[in-house]
Order: sequence, then structure tokens, then C-alpha cells
Amino acid sequence: MTAPALTTPGVFRTCDVTGRKIHRQAELLVRANAVTAVVALLIGAIAALLLVLTRWQAVHLLPADWYYRLLGVHGMNMLIFFIIYFEMAVLWFAATVLLNARPAAPRFGWFNFGLMMVGTLMVQWAQWTGRADVLFTSYVPLRAHPVYYLGIILFAVGALFVSLQFFATLTMAKRERTYEGSMPLVVYGALTAAIIAVITLVHGALIYVPTLLWSLGIIETVDPQVYRMVWWALGHSSQQINMAAQVAIWYMLGALTVGAVVINEKVSRTAFVLYILFISMASAHHLLVDPGFGPAWKIANTSYFMYMAVLASMIHGFTIPAGMELGMRLRGFTQGFFGWLRNAPWGDPGFSSLVLSVSIFGFVGGITGVTIGTEQINIVVHNTLRVPGHFHSTVVSGTAMAFMGVTYYLLPLIFRRRVAFWGMAKLQPYVFSLGVLLLAMGMTFAGSFGVPRRHWDISFSNAPYSVEFTPAVDLMLAIMGIGGILAVTGALMFIAIAVKSVFFGERIDAITRGTAMVGVPQGLTHPPVHPVDADAKNEALHAPARGIMGPVPGTIVLVAIFFIAFVTYYFTNWKLLSFLWKIG
Amino acid sequence: MKGTQSEQDQEPVPRMQRLFDNIWLLLAVGLAVMLIVYTGWGMWEILTMPQATLP
Repeated sequence: MTAPALTTPGVFRTCDVTGRKIHRQAELLVRANAVTAVVALLIGAIAALLLVLTRWQAVHLLPADWYYRLLGVHGMNMLIFFIIYFEMAVLWFAATVLLNARPAAPRFGWFNFGLMMVGTLMVQWAQWTGRADVLFTSYVPLRAHPVYYLGIILFAVGALFVSLQFFATLTMAKRERTYEGSMPLVVYGALTAAIIAVITLVHGALIYVPTLLWSLGIIETVDPQVYRMVWWALGHSSQQINMAAQVAIWYMLGALTVGAVVINEKVSRTAFVLYILFISMASAHHLLVDPGFGPAWKIANTSYFMYMAVLASMIHGFTIPAGMELGMRLRGFTQGFFGWLRNAPWGDPGFSSLVLSVSIFGFVGGITGVTIGTEQINIVVHNTLRVPGHFHSTVVSGTAMAFMGVTYYLLPLIFRRRVAFWGMAKLQPYVFSLGVLLLAMGMTFAGSFGVPRRHWDISFSNAPYSVEFTPAVDLMLAIMGIGGILAVTGALMFIAIAVKSVFFGERIDAITRGTAMVGVPQGLTHPPVHPVDADAKNEALHAPARGIMGPVPGTIVLVAIFFIAFVTYYFTNWKLLSFLWKIG
Repeated sequence: MKGTQSEQDQEPVPRMQRLFDNIWLLLAVGLAVMLIVYTGWGMWEILTMPQATLP
């Protein structure tokens, strides 16, 4: 059965590259959300530059009030607005474009976009006018203007409704048989993100509604411990929405750029289900030094349950590069361990973004996250710069980089524009990643020496006591500062490319296969196609004679390096912990 | 060939695949696990916390 709307002229267009039917309203919703995300990224990036030049103690740019104000602005714009608007774009894209489906109630989608916009503007007004100097976490009893809380609630409700529209669109697509069998893996990843979004936003409503009533004077108090627990189910889980969306994008970019194959559908889908079930419990990491919870709750949540989600991440961390390697080997790049990597399209910003995102997310973000999420080790990490060091390597190096990478494909496919400043676009992922890597490493090592996070002046000038840090801290903060400037430069390069492409870019009416085009990624002009004898080659690559390294020896080596780094870092931290309480 | 296609259509979908394809079930279970293990248990921990005694 085919839905009548699918055949209505003018409602759909057919993409000349992918052959997919694209619903016009869904396409516009993707565009609107993506453009708004980039605006939020711009605001967050400007705030980031000013913040990093303040935390770099030798520069110490902003006065205290503006430092804390912009810290809140940076958090909301980067962690909530940029990320969630982009995720809304991903949900609309995955549910409609990838399934050849029509969106459920597109007018309601516009209403929800409007709701989110109103909420965003309310929050921006409250923050920029100094009526919400409560940082991103807005812990009670710090009190902001009611408009701030109401703005967040409106934004969250709009995003929650869009998530539900995503489920409705999937249900309609299945009923109308726009796809056969199970939904594609990339859509499954988006589904995971949408489910985590519902979990997150429900908790957001549970805590922000009473906090709004408290700010209005309608109720007397909000318990700070309850607030912290429920708020972190929003604050941390919102970053898990990112991660699920980012992993889905990794699978998509792998297929688009190098013809990556899915090594095992069952395994990858099981990993996504493990995210759905267990990843939100990572919120408990923020409460590991809170007195209100016993060790059973803390350890069960952050270790036993959370490690199932860590297992899921390590599964994706293997299957994605393995799929890329196998895809490349099937296309004939079989030399040695890393011939497939040497011959990869490093000049395609979609591919370089993918590799940099996977690598830094796994090697830096993943390893530091699991280590500092261990209850015992957390005591030497809590509230130090190591925490932002960790999450900048996940949310920024991982998620933001992946979102930027896929944008280089969305610009020609959805916005139907050439990527502007094409030479700069090829360079941008490297600049951005190097910057964030330096930033994160500087923060992590400064934090290891005890430098606190969210602190305007670590020299404690005019304080009645003195705290001295080792001079090495100055070097680490300088590395952080230089990395931050570089990262903001990379972000501004991306924003310039996106804005020029969308609003002033050259329109593409058709993409000619086999002909290189300036401003069009290689994966679109030269789609990676597997040869006709791919099945025979696949069988040969899986032959038992290839030994324990199997069909993807390069990935096996990379995974071995990862585990060595993981074990080394983990046990080094236990050693550091032992210095605090010397035994014997 | 037509018969083969028909047989493929009638091949039962494995139970786990059907579970994994049930988006509403995944949503309900995902929400329930978090609300029970993190939020519910956490609330119980806070509510049953004994009153601190003065030194």
C-alpha cells in the first residue's frame, strides 16, 4: 500500500544523488532547525573565547560577574540549544528522508519549532540581562528570573513534542510501507536518541516546573538534593542524546564517504538498545560525592548499569572503524594493515570529521569518562578542570565534530547548495579538532593538579587564605588557552562556511557522478561503490587462513592500542588516588 | 522464483528482532528503567536519609 501523499505532486522532490523522496515540509524543518543550531553555536563560540581567555590566568580577561554570566550562556547555547536544534534536524531527516516518508503533522512541527524558539529567546534575554546568573546547572537555592525557567520549559516541551512526532512518523512510515523489514541502522540510532530525549525531557519537566513555581513564590522550597538528582537526569542525559545521534551519524558518514559496511546488524542494534536501557544512569556520576545517596545507589548506577552502556560504546567503537576498513578492503584497498586508511579520502571534510570525531571521542573522552566515573577515583576529580576536560572531548570533539561533518553532506543534499569556501572546509575539521584536543588536554592536566572548574580566579587574590598551585599549572592553562583559541577559530570557520553556503551559496541543480565538483564532497560526486564480486571478496577476507586478525586487521591493531591506553590511564589514576591516602 | 519470494515473505521474524523493532516498547522500557533505578531509588535514598544529629 502506498500512501496517497507520497504520490501528490509538489509535496515530495526526488534527490538526484540518492534517489530518495524528500518531503518539502520535512526538508524545511531540517533546514530551520539546522540554521538555528548554527546561530546558537555562534553565540556559544563567542562566549567560549571570552571564557577561555579568562580561565587562562595570565590573560584573565573578564570581570567576575561577566565570567559567570557567560559561563551560563556558553553552557545553554552549546549543550542545549546548538545540540538539541541539530538533533531535531537529525530526527526530521532520519524519519522522513531516510525512510522516504512523510512527516507526521508538519504544521505541529512548525508550532513546536516556534515553541522552542520562544523558549530560546526567553532564556537568552534572562541570561544576557543578568537575570539568570545561576550557571548552566542553576542549582537551587540560586534563583533566576521566572522567565528563565519558563523559557527552558517551553523549549523542552517543544523538543519533547518533536520527539513524539518522530515516533509518529516512524509508525506511519511502517504502516505505509515506505520501507521493508527493520528500519535502517542510522534511523535506529536516531530512534535511540529520540527515546533518550524523552527520558531526558521528562526529567527536565519534573524539576523545572517546581523550580519555576518556587521562583514565582508559589511554593516555598525545592530540596537541593532532589533538585541535583533530577536535574542531572536532564543535564547529563541530554548529552547522551547527542551521543546516540552522533553514533548514528558516524554510521551514515562511514557509508557515504568510504562505503563502510555494517559488520553485524544484530550487534550494532543490541548496542543501541543497551544505550536506551542504561546510558541515562551516567547522570549519577555528578552525585558521586553527594551525601544524600548510599554507595549501593551510586555504584549500581555508575558502574554495574552504566558499564553496559560503556560496552555499547566500545561495540560501536569497534564496528564503525571495522565497517570502514571492510568497506575499503572490499573496494580493493587491501595493502597491509593500514592501506585502507592511507587511501581514504582525507580531503573530504565529511570523512576527516568522522575519523577525528571517533578517535578523540574514544581515546580521550571515553577513557577519561569511564575513569573519572569510578566512585573512588571521582574524589580526586570532582569539581576540578578535569571534568570539563572530559566532556569537551566528548561533546565537542565527538558530537559537534560529527554534526559539522554531516553538515558538509547536508548542504548539497538538503540545502542544495555548494559548500562555500571549499578549501577552508577541507581544513576546518583539523583546526577544530586540534584546538579542542589541546583545550581538553590542558584542562585535564591542570585539573589533575587540583585546579577547580567554574572558578574565576584561581590566584585567590584578596582572599583571607592562599592556595598555591604548582607552576606546571600555568603551562597547562596556556595550552588550554591556545587550544581554546584554535577551537573557536575552527568553529567560526564552520559557521562562516555554513552561513555563506546556506544564504549566499551557489545553488546545485544536479550533482554529476564521476566528475569532481568544487564544494561537493567526494562521497557525493564519486560515491563509494562495492564491486560486483564483493561477496566473493568478503568470503576471502573472512577465510580462516587469515588467522586471529580476521578480515579487519588494522582495526584489531587500533583496538589493541585503545585497550593499552585505557588500562594505563585507569591504573595510573588508581596510583594517583593512593597518594592521597598512603597505606603502610 | 515467485514462490521463493513468497516463502521469504512468510519466514517468521525472529523474536528478538520483533522486540528491537517495537519502538513503543523500547520507549516504555527505557523510561521505566531510568525512573526505577535512578530516579525512584534515588528519591527513596533521599527520603529515608536519617536526620543528622547535632555534635
